[in-house]
Amino acid sequence: MNTLSILLLILLSGSVITYSIDSLNRKLTGITAFIVALVASVYFFATAYNGLAENLQVGGFTLQWGVTPIGMYFLYIVLGLSVLALLYSVKYMEGKARLGYFYGSFLMTVLGMTGVALSRDFISLFIFWEIMTWASFLLLIYNAYYNVKTEGMKYMVFSAIGAYAMLTAIVFIHKYYGTFMIGEAIDKGAFDFMKHAFIPVFFILGFAIKAAVMPFHVWAPPGYSKTPMSFTAVFSGAMSKMGIFGIALILSTFYVLQNFEAYFFTQVLAWLGGITAVMGTIYALIQTDAKRLLAYSSIAQLGYIVVGLSTGTKLGVMAALYLAVMHAVFKGALFMVAGAVEKQAGTTDMTKISGLIRRMPWTFFVALVSIIALAGVPPVGGFVGKWLLYEALITESNNYFLVIVIFFSSTAAFLYAYRFLFGLFLGQEEKETENVKEAPASMLIPMVILALIAIVTGTMPGLIFKPAAEAMQSIGFDNVNWQMSSLSNVWGNMTDLNLIGILIAVVFVLIFLFLTFKGKKNTRYVGTKDISSSGELWKEGENWTFQQDFFKPFERAASPLYKFDMNKIWQDLGDALEAFFGFARKIYTGNGQTYAIFVIAFLAILILFKDYIFG
Amino acid sequence: MEGIGFKILGAFLTSILAFSVGMLYGGLRRKITARTQNRVGPPVYQNFIDLMKLQGKTHNIAHGFMGHMAPMWIIIAAMTVLMFIPVLHNGLWFDNLTFKGDLIFLLYMMVFGSLGMALGAGQSGNPNSAIGVTRGLSLMVGYEIPFVLSLVAIMLQFHTTSIQDFMHYQYETGRWLVFENPFAFAAALLSSLGMFRYSPFDIVGAPAELASGPVSEFGGKYLGTMMTGGAVFAFIKLVLLVDLFLGGAGNVEVEGIAGTLLGLGELLLKTFLLYMIPVFIGLVSPRYRTEQAIRFFWKWPTLLGIAAVIWALFHPVQ
Repeated sequence: MNTLSILLLILLSGSVITYSIDSLNRKLTGITAFIVALVASVYFFATAYNGLAENLQVGGFTLQWGVTPIGMYFLYIVLGLSVLALLYSVKYMEGKARLGYFYGSFLMTVLGMTGVALSRDFISLFIFWEIMTWASFLLLIYNAYYNVKTEGMKYMVFSAIGAYAMLTAIVFIHKYYGTFMIGEAIDKGAFDFMKHAFIPVFFILGFAIKAAVMPFHVWAPPGYSKTPMSFTAVFSGAMSKMGIFGIALILSTFYVLQNFEAYFFTQVLAWLGGITAVMGTIYALIQTDAKRLLAYSSIAQLGYIVVGLSTGTKLGVMAALYLAVMHAVFKGALFMVAGAVEKQAGTTDMTKISGLIRRMPWTFFVALVSIIALAGVPPVGGFVGKWLLYEALITESNNYFLVIVIFFSSTAAFLYAYRFLFGLFLGQEEKETENVKEAPASMLIPMVILALIAIVTGTMPGLIFKPAAEAMQSIGFDNVNWQMSSLSNVWGNMTDLNLIGILIAVVFVLIFLFLTFKGKKNTRYVGTKDISSSGELWKEGENWTFQQDFFKPFERAASPLYKFDMNKIWQDLGDALEAFFGFARKIYTGNGQTYAIFVIAFLAILILFKDYIFG
Repeated sequence: MEGIGFKILGAFLTSILAFSVGMLYGGLRRKITARTQNRVGPPVYQNFIDLMKLQGKTHNIAHGFMGHMAPMWIIIAAMTVLMFIPVLHNGLWFDNLTFKGDLIFLLYMMVFGSLGMALGAGQSGNPNSAIGVTRGLSLMVGYEIPFVLSLVAIMLQFHTTSIQDFMHYQYETGRWLVFENPFAFAAALLSSLGMFRYSPFDIVGAPAELASGPVSEFGGKYLGTMMTGGAVFAFIKLVLLVDLFLGGAGNVEVEGIAGTLLGLGELLLKTFLLYMIPVFIGLVSPRYRTEQAIRFFWKWPTLLGIAAVIWALFHPVQ
C-alpha cells in the first residue's frame, strides 16, 4: 500500500462513514465529510511526488495509478476546491434532509475525480469516470427526489452516450494495440487520426460531454442550477475540468503528430468551443435566475478553455490550463455566493430580490472580485487568462475570425456579469429583505479565500504558471517559458503586471483619500429610495429597481442568435427516434404468417447475396 | 534622464495635459454646437468653471459604498490607460510606462472604468441609471466588434501588439497606417463614434429621455471626479487613434523643448481634426434606438473590419 491507494481508501471509507454517521448524529455529517476531504488532501499533497506509481492486479488486468504533472495540476483544482466547498457546505446544508446521502455522494464524486486524474490505464480511468458520473447524478437529483425523470434525464442520457463512446474506444484500442495502458497506447499511436479516426473522436466525445461543449451542453443548465450550490461549485468548477483534462490528454498527442486530419479536427473543436462560448454567453444574459445565469456562464467559460486547448500552441495551452484554474476559482466562488444568497434571502430569482449589498457586504465583496475575474478585467487574475488566449489566437494560430467570436463572447459577458451583481446586490432595497443577515463565517471563509486567490494571481500569475508549465512539459511541450508577473508573446511584446498593480494601487490610494476626506463632514449618506424621480411620486412599498427585460434591446438586436435552440433539436431527434422505433415495433404483428414471411425473406436474401456477405 | 522623480514629474505632466486638452475639447464642442444652432453658447473654458463649481460644493450626497467607489474606478482606469499610451513619439517627458503594456491590456483596462461606473449607478437605486447602464453595455458589445477587428487586422499586418512599434514604423517609413490599411482605419473611426457617445449614439445619457442616465444620482465631488475622468478618456481615445493610424505626434526632428512643443502642436492639430468627426456627425443626427445602434455597428463597420483583416493577410508588413 502506498500513498495513492491510501488516498483512495480514505475517500472511499470516508464516504461510507459519512453516509452512516447521518443516522447517528446529523450535525456531525458535514463536519466529518469536511475532515475526510481535508485529511485526504493534506496527506496527498504532503507525501505525493511526481512519478509515484502503483500497480494493482485485478482478475488478469493490471490497474496502474500514478502521479503525473498534468494529473497533479488537476488534482490541485479537484482537492482544493472540494475541501473549500465541503467547509462551505457544513452551514449551507444545515437543516436539510438526507445529509448522509448528500455527503456520501459528494465524497464519492471527489473519489471519482481523484481517480480519473491518477489513472494510468483505461480500465481504472473508465471505472473512476463512471463512479464520478453516477455519484454526481445522485447529487443532481438531490433536490428533485420525487421528480427524477424530468430533472436528471438529460444528464443521464448524455453521460451514458459519452461513457459508451469511451468504452467502445477502449475496447478497440485493446483489440488493435493489445494494451490497456494509457502511456503505451499513446506511444503506439492509438490516437493517430490516420490509423483509426474514431478512437480519438469517441474519447473526445466522452470528455466533451462532461466539459459541456456545444452541442452536448443541454444537460448543464438544469444540472448546474438544480444541484445544491455547495456541490455545484465543485460540479462546475472541478468536475467539468475532468473533461478538459481528458481533451488535453488526447489533443496533446495531436500536437506531436501534426497531420492534416488531426489539424482539421482540432479546428472543428476550436470552432465548437467558440460557438459554445457565444451561445452560453447570450443565453446567460437573458436569464432571470442567478443560478441559471451562472450555469450558462460556466458553459461559455469552458468554451474558452476548449478553444485554448485546440490552438495547440504553447501560449494557447497555457491559456487553457490557466483558465481552468481561474474558472474553478471564480466560478466556485460565484456559485457559493449564489448559495449564500439563496440560504439567507430565500431565493436567487433576480426579479424578486435586490439591494442586498448593505445586508451582505462580504458576500458582495467576493461576488465583485469574482465577477471582475470572470469579465477578465485587470488587475484581477482572470485578465491573465484572457490575455494569453487572445495573444495565442492572434500571434500563433490562423484563426483570425475565431478571435472575434471569442471577443464578442467575452464583451457580451460584461452584460451578464453586471446583471448578476446588479440583480442580487444593487438597486433599491426590498422590504422583504430588510432582515437578511450576512452569511455565517464558515460559509464566508472559503468564499473569501477564493476571492483572495483571484486577487493575488492578478499580479503574480506565476504561481499558477509554474505547475502549468510542468504539466505542459509532461504532455510534450519543451521549454515552456513563464515569468512570475509579466506576460509575453512570441512577437516579443509584453505586459508587466507588477507595474500595473503598483500603478493601480497608488492611484487608488490617492483618489480614495481625496474623495473620502474632501468635505467628509458634509457628505450625507442617503438610502437607495431617496432619489430624483423626475417628478413622479414614490409610494410606500414600491420598488423601482429595473429588473424585468433587462437586456431587451440587446435581445432584439441579436434576435437571430436566439432562434437557435439546441434543446429543441435534441428533443426533435428524440421524438424522431421514438417514432421510428414505434414503427419498427410493428414488425411484431403476432401473426404466424407474417413471421413465416420474414424467415423466407431472410433466406432469400442470404441466397441472393451470398457472394457479397460471405465473400 | 532616468530617476524615479523624473518619471513621476513626467506622469504628472501627462495627466495635466490630458486633463486640460480633454476639458478644452469638451468646451469647444459645446461652443460649436451652440454656434451651429445659432446660439451664442458658453465660453470654451466653461467646463473648467463647471468642474470648479462641482468640486467646490460644500454638501455632497452619496448613495452607498459602490456609489462612493465608482468615480475612483473611473479615475484609476483613466490614469492607468494614460500611462500606457505614448503621447509623443520622442517625448522624453511623456514616455511613462508605454513599453510595459500592449493593446490587449489597454482594451481591457479601458473597460474597468465603465464597470465601476455601472456598479455605482446601479447602487443609486434610480431606474434611469440602470436603464442607461444596460444600454451602455449593449452598445459596447456593438462597437467593440468592429474596433477589435480593426486592431486584430493591424496586429496581424505588422506582427506586433505594441503601440510603440506602430508609431515607430510610421516614423521610420513615413507611411501612415491609414494608408497601409484603410479599412482598419474606417472600422476604427466608425466604432469611435460609438465610443464618444454623441448623437446618434447618445442613448446612454439620452437627454430628455433618461435624465442623463447613469450619472443622474451623482453630484458634487463625485460628478466632478467623473467629469475629470471623462475628459482624460476623451483625450485617450483620440490619442490612441492618432498613434495607431495617423502617424502619431512628435515626429519633427528638432532638439530640446522646442521639439516637444512642436510635437504637442502636431498632436493637438491631429486630435482636434479627428475629434470634429464625431462632433459634426452628432450635430446633424437624431438618436438611434439601442437595438438600431447595435445593428448599425454589426453591419457596415463590422464588414469593414472583416475587409481589414483580409487586406492585412494580403499585405503583410514584416
